[in-house]
Amino acid sequence: MIVPYLLRFLLLCLASFFLVHLALGLIAWFAARTAIGLALRMRPQTGARLLLAVRLFPAGFALLVVALICAPSYFWLEPKGTPEPIGLAFLSAAALGAAGWGLSVGRAILAAARSVRHIRRFRRAGRETRLPGEASPVWVIEDPAPRVMLAGLIRPQVVISRKVIAALSSEQLAAVLRHERAHGRSRDNLKRLLVLLAPGILPFIRGFGALERGWAKITEWAADDRAAAGDSQRSLTLAAALVRVARLGAVPSHPPLVTSLMADGMDLETRVDRLLAATSVATPQSGRAGILPGSFAIVLGGLLVAAMVHPATLSAAHEFLETLIR
Amino acid sequence: MIAFLKHRIAGQMLTAPPALGHLEATVMEILWERGESNVHDVMQTLDRRLAYTTVMTTLDRLYKKGLLNRHKSARAFVYAPRWSHREWEQKRAGEFVAGFLSGPEPSGELLISCLVEAVGQQDGALLDELERKIRQKRKELCQQRKP
Repeated sequence: MIVPYLLRFLLLCLASFFLVHLALGLIAWFAARTAIGLALRMRPQTGARLLLAVRLFPAGFALLVVALICAPSYFWLEPKGTPEPIGLAFLSAAALGAAGWGLSVGRAILAAARSVRHIRRFRRAGRETRLPGEASPVWVIEDPAPRVMLAGLIRPQVVISRKVIAALSSEQLAAVLRHERAHGRSRDNLKRLLVLLAPGILPFIRGFGALERGWAKITEWAADDRAAAGDSQRSLTLAAALVRVARLGAVPSHPPLVTSLMADGMDLETRVDRLLAATSVATPQSGRAGILPGSFAIVLGGLLVAAMVHPATLSAAHEFLETLIR
Repeated sequence: MIAFLKHRIAGQMLTAPPALGHLEATVMEILWERGESNVHDVMQTLDRRLAYTTVMTTLDRLYKKGLLNRHKSARAFVYAPRWSHREWEQKRAGEFVAGFLSGPEPSGELLISCLVEAVGQQDGALLDELERKIRQKRKELCQQRKP
């Protein structure tokens, strides 16, 4: 099959992405259990970052390879105006790459649409209220379900049912709101969208369920820790608030791009136990813990990018891609 | 042909977990605990004295019911459970629920309402326990703060 220059480039990008992503996806899939084990032993904020990095690494690195190696080597070394035949295996890889992206983008759009619909419904059913002692307003809704959630991607807002406000003391309510705002500060809803956008190992096999569940669980722990901020009294108050909200009844399912206080009802016992343990060993939050690994990652990334865009790498990559196309 | 029929029958037996008698259940518990065992091993672990042939027949029956795997070692069969205890319990529970739900409508509804009630009671007990822990912790914190 002979295809023109630009279409061949598009197919090349999709096929290269698929192959690199498949290889890295399998590595991430094998490493998932170890990564979750490691993340559970780390500080929740660091653990959540690790799991998110492992989850997004295959797609992120594959995109980098396509953008920094495949695309430049093609435009630099492939002669223009010479239609070339392409093989069936290459075409299949491109089709699988396109299917993977199509499905994940579709899933993300559907999730965003569902979330927007829910937020509109909440806004119709409630009103923006400034609660006593709170700097920013929250949406208070009349809902029989005990909802406490953070909705919205760019400027997320806390949505809370009046039932919950009535059931909690002012300290417990403040603790719950601090928890939700902690999710907002870490941009967890935006990260959820990124996770949905990142393709699965194969178009119809996501394969990262354990990683995603582990990440969701640890982000809740991280938000609990941020809300408690190393203060034993605050930890205790948040634990009491969690139990009080759980007593109000089950929370119905919520849209995927919304963070809910009781999202993982099965984890309630662990969360309360963690908060009670934090009252014994108050750990001050340090902002410098991530600086060293962060700098290391930036230096390593820089070296990697430099190696990738080197003419010798591009030339070798072009030769490899030529073989792949046929 | 006979082998094919045997295989099909064994396959059908595996889909529906067979009921176990008292001795069979005891022998299965021993095998889950010990792992691979021969007739002598099982006899020694039993809390009552039974004839060699009785235990051998029981193990053979469990093998034919599809609950055990076996291989020959030094002229004697060594038996091992085909599923873990948990997998077996899951199979039994699944079969029980499926049987109940396939009955007339009220029996299905009855089962679901019983399950919801049981889960609710368990949740309530868990929340009581968590509240007790929180009260205890609060008390400890208060005592620590007092000079």
